[in-house]
Amino acid sequence: MSDHKPEKKVKPPQAFGWMAEYDDENKFLDAARKVRDSGYTRTDAFAPFPVHGIDEALGIKPTVLPWFTLIAGACGTTTALVMECWMNGYSYPYIISGKPFISLPAFIPVAFELTVLFAAFTTVFAMLGLNGLPKFSNPVFSNPKFDRATDDRFFIWVDSRDKYFNSDKVKALLEGTSPLAVDEVREDDTSTDVPKALYFGILTLILASLIPAVLVWNMRSVRSDKSRWHVFFDMDFMPYRKAQKQTTIFADGRTQRPPVPGTVPRGGYAIDDPMYLGYTPDANTAMITPDSSSVVKLVSAQEGAAQEPKPQEPAPTTQEPTPPAQEPEKPAEKPAQEPTAEPAKQEPATTEPAKQEEPKPEPAKTEPAKTEVAQEPAKPEPPKSVPATPITPAPAAQVPAAQAPAAAAQQPPVAAATPAVPDRKYLEKLPEQFQANDEMFALGRKKFEQVCSACHGFAGYGNGLVSKRAEALQSSYWLQPTSVHDERLQKQPIGQVYYTITNGKGKMAGYGSTLNVKERWAVALYVKSLQRSQNAQATDLSN
Amino acid sequence: MSSVLTSGIDNTYDTPGRRTPLVTGGHNYSAVTRMVSRISEEAQPTVWWIAMGIAVPLLIMFVSLIGHLFLTGVGVWGNMSPVFWAWPIVNFVFWVGIGHAGTLISAILFLFRQNWRTSINRAAEAMTIFAVVCAGTFPGIHVGRAWLAFWLTPYPSLNLWMWPQFRSPLLWDVFAVGTYASVSLVFWYMGMIPDLATFRDRSKTKWRRMIYGILCLGWSGSSRHWMRYEKAYAILAALATPLVLSVHTVVSFDFAVSQLPGWHTTIFPPYFVAGAIFSGFGMVLTLLIPVRAIYNLKDLITPRHLENMCKIILATGSMVGLAYITEFYMAWYSQNPNEYFTFVNRAFGPYWWAYWIMFTCNVISPQVFWFRIFRQNVILMWIVTIFVNIGMWFERFVITVTSLSRDFLPSSWGYFQPTWVDIGMLVGSFGLFTTLFCLFCKYLPIVAISEVKGVMSQHAHDEHRHEHGHSH
Amino acid sequence: MASEKFTSDNITLPAEWRSKRMPLAAVGAVLIVVSIFVFAGIGNGLKPFFHSYLANFMYCLTFCLGALFFVMVQHLVRASWSSAVRRVAELYASTIPFWALLFLPIIITLFGGSDALYSWNKPEGIELEAVLNKLTYLNAKFFTLRTALYFGVFIVAARLYFGMSRKQDETGDREITLKLQRWAGPMIMLFAVALNFAAFDWMMSTDPAWFSTIYGVYIFAASMLSFFAVMILTCYMLQSKGRLQKIVTVEHFHDMSKFQFGFIVFWSYIAFSQFLLYWYGNIPEETIWYRDRMDHGWGTWGLLLIATHFAVPFLGTVSRHVRRRPGLMAFWACFILVVHWLDMTFLIMPNVGGVSLMLILGHALCWIGMVLVFISLFLWRVGETPVVAIKDPWLPDSLAYQNLP
Repeated sequence: MSDHKPEKKVKPPQAFGWMAEYDDENKFLDAARKVRDSGYTRTDAFAPFPVHGIDEALGIKPTVLPWFTLIAGACGTTTALVMECWMNGYSYPYIISGKPFISLPAFIPVAFELTVLFAAFTTVFAMLGLNGLPKFSNPVFSNPKFDRATDDRFFIWVDSRDKYFNSDKVKALLEGTSPLAVDEVREDDTSTDVPKALYFGILTLILASLIPAVLVWNMRSVRSDKSRWHVFFDMDFMPYRKAQKQTTIFADGRTQRPPVPGTVPRGGYAIDDPMYLGYTPDANTAMITPDSSSVVKLVSAQEGAAQEPKPQEPAPTTQEPTPPAQEPEKPAEKPAQEPTAEPAKQEPATTEPAKQEEPKPEPAKTEPAKTEVAQEPAKPEPPKSVPATPITPAPAAQVPAAQAPAAAAQQPPVAAATPAVPDRKYLEKLPEQFQANDEMFALGRKKFEQVCSACHGFAGYGNGLVSKRAEALQSSYWLQPTSVHDERLQKQPIGQVYYTITNGKGKMAGYGSTLNVKERWAVALYVKSLQRSQNAQATDLSN
Repeated sequence: MSSVLTSGIDNTYDTPGRRTPLVTGGHNYSAVTRMVSRISEEAQPTVWWIAMGIAVPLLIMFVSLIGHLFLTGVGVWGNMSPVFWAWPIVNFVFWVGIGHAGTLISAILFLFRQNWRTSINRAAEAMTIFAVVCAGTFPGIHVGRAWLAFWLTPYPSLNLWMWPQFRSPLLWDVFAVGTYASVSLVFWYMGMIPDLATFRDRSKTKWRRMIYGILCLGWSGSSRHWMRYEKAYAILAALATPLVLSVHTVVSFDFAVSQLPGWHTTIFPPYFVAGAIFSGFGMVLTLLIPVRAIYNLKDLITPRHLENMCKIILATGSMVGLAYITEFYMAWYSQNPNEYFTFVNRAFGPYWWAYWIMFTCNVISPQVFWFRIFRQNVILMWIVTIFVNIGMWFERFVITVTSLSRDFLPSSWGYFQPTWVDIGMLVGSFGLFTTLFCLFCKYLPIVAISEVKGVMSQHAHDEHRHEHGHSH
Repeated sequence: MASEKFTSDNITLPAEWRSKRMPLAAVGAVLIVVSIFVFAGIGNGLKPFFHSYLANFMYCLTFCLGALFFVMVQHLVRASWSSAVRRVAELYASTIPFWALLFLPIIITLFGGSDALYSWNKPEGIELEAVLNKLTYLNAKFFTLRTALYFGVFIVAARLYFGMSRKQDETGDREITLKLQRWAGPMIMLFAVALNFAAFDWMMSTDPAWFSTIYGVYIFAASMLSFFAVMILTCYMLQSKGRLQKIVTVEHFHDMSKFQFGFIVFWSYIAFSQFLLYWYGNIPEETIWYRDRMDHGWGTWGLLLIATHFAVPFLGTVSRHVRRRPGLMAFWACFILVVHWLDMTFLIMPNVGGVSLMLILGHALCWIGMVLVFISLFLWRVGETPVVAIKDPWLPDSLAYQNLP
């Protein structure tokens, strides 16, 4: 599109050159050759599509465009690699998936993309630049016939500024090439002034585009006592609550949630089968532990209580003190019912003292003292924090409730806490579910070498690789792992070995969650046989 | 007009040694100009309004669903442990794949001197851009807080002084798709400049003339300009070819650099690229078959063009099939139990239906193109391309969802179910795509006029030479 | 006008070349035998020799497979530009039957129970359970059956395309071209499957525990790249002996060079994809293959491969001014043929052990011997056959063909 309307003439139109029109590309090519051969160089040819051979016919030189592409591509690669190495390797080093900060293979995709990006854009802009585009005003446009140059007509143009330009000769030359027409093209006589309105419009646009930037800058640099304006809330306003507060999010109004019905907390499921324990529980060491069914019961009790005023029937079975868990929150919810619900509920028929009276811990209870419940630590009296009881994990927690204050009871201590072990009736041989056969032995050996030998060493002398390494580093906090050939250990029954493997001992963590029951027994068996193999007696030979 | 002559010649057949013309109907240059320009100059046919009438409400639904997503959070989707990459990513890969045919037709077929590309490349490139728009939307809104998606770019943050993680394939994806979108756009626009000049010169009204005049940057058709223009076009084609490959390669890296069975396999890059070309051509045919009928472009987009595209679909479909077989074979050959399980699970697990839809649509359905009747009958062809589109969507679904839903840890296995928002967004993205494509048909030259003329000229030239040759 | 181009002077092999085929074969065979003794110096039985034999065998076979694919694909897309050079490719493809014979030593040793090349052939020695489980697939009988199938596909296709093209030399029947076009699709499908699995069986299973799904594509890329180099070099040498004058023009060199350039990039893309995925995934059973190729001197070899198989030829042939100079392109073709050997070596030889002078010496001797045998086979196969398909209907187009600027 050429022009804004003239109005003001700067100078009288001048002849600008001659233009010949053709309707066939072969005539057009022939004409171009003639023009070239006549020595004119300020010429041009216009066609609706790139005519094959016109470059040579008109003597057009190849373009330097590919160089722009090459250089821009190289810049793209360099930019990307430098950027990646600097940002991830230097300015903001950050370990991810174990890869080095400067990971060349991972940098290649982006380097490739930027190469192409730079090269492609440069090519297009260089093409436009070399062509002098955009150029909205062009003398050739002043010829109305020229509209068909983008349709089906071909034009040859000789510029009046050519060294050898002679109007009559050029006209004659062109007319000799069987054109449809030969026209004189006059210089574009429209004003070269850019309309004021355009300046004004552009200025307005520029100023308007600055407004957001100014606003942002202002907000960043000025302090205000008003909170900022939230377009998106993100996580600035979260409906969080403290543990004992009321909430509207849940229908029951409790903030802290009771265990989900049907779930069993880790360590909450125990059986008094010696196979799992490693010892035979007797009356004194009776398991007082919420097994899965009781947990379920508990929860449904809570729910029931919450909904109906009536208390739930007590847990029938054994020793299950329903934890006083619920009560603290119940008030929050329906204070009216609470008195009834609560006392009614607590009474399991057990050995347990009536705990609810002292809602607060003080588990001065005597009897748990000796028992050392394997699986269930916090039982004595979960103070108010509700779900604590059922949820407490730590199968290994054997804190004698009596000694430990309630607080301690709550965080399941590491196995290390166990002081002197009361006499349990450890199994002297494998539980009946397993046989000491080759398969069992092989399993034990496999697992021992996989799991135990890193510290204890393959032969069990406590000189595994980890230990050696720690010594080499002179680690101050490293305790040499116990040798299984220790005299003390040699005397331990297999059940005790099993117990230690399961629950840990001293610095050794429990492997109850790493190895399954069979594997633990197998390892215990292997340990016993290791001991025997390393301390063989003459009497063994007879066997 | 002259379309009476349309189906005179069977130009799907080359006598060896002689090329049949790519433009039928005996048109001259001016007729080609008119044939394309009138689409934009005249009132749109009823079908166009019907298409817009369907597409725009879908687009509005799409935008509303995105609003719903922003206000509510990504929980509106069915993404749930263990399937955290689900429909949005499936849609992303699906659309990005479709976005490959356009640049492929423009670039690779240009490098291979496949002149038949000229009639279809413009529409295919437009399709590419619109598909990439749809594709870009999904990861954009998938990042959680979409308004902070600009954090993905390496800009110097004023407060934190942090940089993006260039070792992450997801960031490669940002660069790859970003580069692809912008280079495709430029390529498309550059290709349109001469045709916009044609529109300018045919304009009857001042405004139209001015707008197209500005858009075409004052193109005059000077041979010097043409020379640089052609050079630039060739260079762009040479750059765009590896770019096309790289984009879907990087998309495949998103999956394949992980250790997940079914994702971590080295065939993924070329396999994804073949699949992308496959689906792209499927979509090009799906669009162009109606377009050539509606706008009466049968002399430009001839049976030859359609047949060639069918053959490419057949070839790439078979490549995809070979990749499926190789993957399955290697799952066994590697003797990796997880890998093997994943593949058996794909075919016979809870998502068996998705797998077999994928397999049937992608591998078996294109095999009908061995038969000439399917390459010639547009209705049958169109139906097959619909199957191809469906199959390729399911391919991404199978890859993404089945691998995630059952990975190493059986205790965390799950079964993904989409929500209505998921489905609505997929449908809505078609609304966005169709709206853009309809607008394109209305306002821009949908066939590369100048390139078609160049091919006509060349053919005339060859004919000329042949006559000479025979006379001697 | 065409007739004077097709004189026998212009389209048959120079006589002095043909006369050299026996000496070449003899020298080649001797070199291969010598390499056995060189390898004997480094111990490990026949293992190094057979690995070297396979690597060099594949080095040569890949040309022929690339040629076969090229011929079929030209028919598939009804290309006209390539008509002037297609016969050379057909001739290369038609040597495949001899390569099937040269594979026999490997088969024979397999049945002899040797694990010199394929360790899966001796189940006693295998410790990995994963490999033991594969023995239903990797065993001498089944392997031989598959090899026969692969060669069957290659030979049938090569004979079809060469034979029909020869027939056309006499009759000029256009129907032949149509027929070959129709067969191109199915043949390429078979070829793709065969090449893919042949790559797994012949090469990948030399390390039976390792696996990569892209391996077949990698071999395909290497085949095409090396094939175009061979083509360029062959055409150049024929022209330097005054053959193919005015038939193969600078335009054809330009096109073949573009393809060569394209496959340099494609090979790099495939090689990089495989490396990146295994490097990033970092799973031991996958990275072990690269571990072997980063130790004992192979690491340098790999870096050399990156430089010479990608960077140098990429920059060297990126310009059209280079591609349009047949002399320069002949140099680059030689260069590619050398780095192709580096590549094949890198794939196979690290199975034997670290880089050592004797290993490389023996391997290089075997390489030169195999290449001489290859040249001799080719010359023998060509014989009096014209090296251009003189009555191909597309030939006039091809002769007149011009690249756009």
